[in-house]
Amino acid sequence: MADAVTRELAEGFYKALADLNFEALETYLDDNVSWTMRGPVDVLPYCGCHTGKATVLRLLGRDIPALFDKRRLLPHSMLVDGDYVAVFGVLTANRAGSRRKVTCRIAQFIRFAGGKVVAYTSILDSFDAAEQMLGRPLKVARAGNGHALAV
Amino acid sequence: MTELLSRQRVEAFYKAYATRDPEKVAPYIHDDVEWTVCGPVDYLPFCGTHRGKASILDLIGRRVQAVLRTYSFVPEAILVDGEQVAMLSRQSAWRAADGRAISYRVANYMRFRDGKVLHNLSLIDSFDVVEQVLGHPLPVPSKHHDDGELIAI
Repeated sequence: MADAVTRELAEGFYKALADLNFEALETYLDDNVSWTMRGPVDVLPYCGCHTGKATVLRLLGRDIPALFDKRRLLPHSMLVDGDYVAVFGVLTANRAGSRRKVTCRIAQFIRFAGGKVVAYTSILDSFDAAEQMLGRPLKVARAGNGHALAV
Repeated sequence: MTELLSRQRVEAFYKAYATRDPEKVAPYIHDDVEWTVCGPVDYLPFCGTHRGKASILDLIGRRVQAVLRTYSFVPEAILVDGEQVAMLSRQSAWRAADGRAISYRVANYMRFRDGKVLHNLSLIDSFDVVEQVLGHPLPVPSKHHDDGELIAI
């Protein structure tokens, strides 16, 4: 199979990502990498779709650390199949400048081509993550017209 | 000896699961299955951890359908690694209440035993799904206050 990813390559990239080893990350990312993190940008402003190695490195090196300290990725399972790697685990971090800790489950799908990461997609339980970021439950009442109201 | 899980078996399960028909899904579900869907139960009442084959078939065939009627479940990636399976899919559904279409991505991590699902973890962008189910944005303040709280502007 063309471009089959080895577990060694997958683990090497993931370690670089978890450790935020930018020198190593630069060697793993394709110049045109597509990096998508699903989540509410009003609460987690780094979420969304980002394209290009320089953009992704800036995102990981500046934008996310501006919001979080002590970010840790704790993988529970890593699957490698063909050109894809999937990781399910837990993300923990502290809100920058506060003691508020955020912990949530995360799924990451990483596609390789030519030994480089060309696409990354992460999905997390974003409602739970948003509540932890806000430090309170998101309670919503349904008005008669169906509109959501804060309560 | 544990049966080796084939891609063919996983794809057959996926096809059955996409129908949300309990009769078609049943042959692929282990009696001792544990099935977790992450999300707020206040708004998505099918979320939480469910155990046992009958409970999971009821979840797939009735409880989820009471909120969302899935009409499309398209794989973007299906990984098979030993007895573990990871799936990234685009799920499209009609809201049961009014038929409004909603669409979101879902990630599934599964562990099979003897060709049947023993463990499932479903992760969805739950904030987005709740907004789509409600039909309106959630009232989240848009600016961070200095003390770390969020305030509306």
